[in-house]
Amino acid sequence: MNALLESLSLLARLITAGVFLFAAYDKVWDPANFAASVATYDLLPLWAVNAVSVSLAWLEMLVGTLLLVGLLTRAAALWACALLVFFIGLMTYAGITGAGFDCGCFPGGGEAAAHQAGFETAIRDIIFLVPAVFAALRPGRWLSLGGERGWAEGR
Amino acid sequence: MNPIPELKRQLQPMALILACALGLGFLFNLVMPQGLGWLPEAVSRPLWQPMARDQALAQLKNGAMLLDARPAGDYSQARVRGALKLPHDEIAKLYPLMKPLIAQAPVVLVYGQTVSRFPAADVAQHLRAQGHEKVYVIEGSLETLEKSGFPIQRPRRGGAS
Repeated sequence: MNALLESLSLLARLITAGVFLFAAYDKVWDPANFAASVATYDLLPLWAVNAVSVSLAWLEMLVGTLLLVGLLTRAAALWACALLVFFIGLMTYAGITGAGFDCGCFPGGGEAAAHQAGFETAIRDIIFLVPAVFAALRPGRWLSLGGERGWAEGR
Repeated sequence: MNPIPELKRQLQPMALILACALGLGFLFNLVMPQGLGWLPEAVSRPLWQPMARDQALAQLKNGAMLLDARPAGDYSQARVRGALKLPHDEIAKLYPLMKPLIAQAPVVLVYGQTVSRFPAADVAQHLRAQGHEKVYVIEGSLETLEKSGFPIQRPRRGGAS
């Protein structure tokens, strides 16, 4: 039973890490492009767009990396949950307002239909939230750098 | 397990993660060539000058050229009457075609601004960098321009041009 839970924890952690790392690498490497995506939502004042987009990209990158190696796992998973809840709200808002532009979530945007901001993207993020919540509730110790010192359990 | 004390315990590592992300982001943007400044260069180091809306209206009556820097989709929905389309994200493609026309204009006025974006600044910056002298930006959104007395044209569906 314990082995099954550990396997599920590891799987949840790695899935969430994969999602965040895949989402972050392009945003980190091409900050101008991501800032343009953030600006498309027209929610932030001009002076905050670059700072928020850079911070968000690096937060995603760091959360993904920590989940991958299993360090500060619960805190990283909680960040993942918080970010996903924020994204779900943002995509729902985009759906309500009929935004119709690329959500800027993953690489390959720009082709308008690739990841269009809206209800479908919100549902996708709800699906991503499931393993993130599992990883936050039960970080697990397998293949975890912090596991032996109790970091993975969030002590 | 009571989740509240556990969540409180996690606040410190979560703050640490946030601080590291902010630090790494700041360092990366400082060091790497593709790093971003606080503001777009067209805003932080503008080559253009703003023009007051009433003054811009007077300039339009004297034959100034009016450019709409917003995305093409926004232009097709509504625009200031007589404005030519020069979207900031298509400027590399469209500028060579429009260059002779822009060069003939006595004054060039550019508009296009939202809460988070300032495409008019980008277009005006580009035009100034290309050597056009009398390039001015009319600040404010299309709604602001409408309230200031600019005539707005809203083509019917499919009437984009």
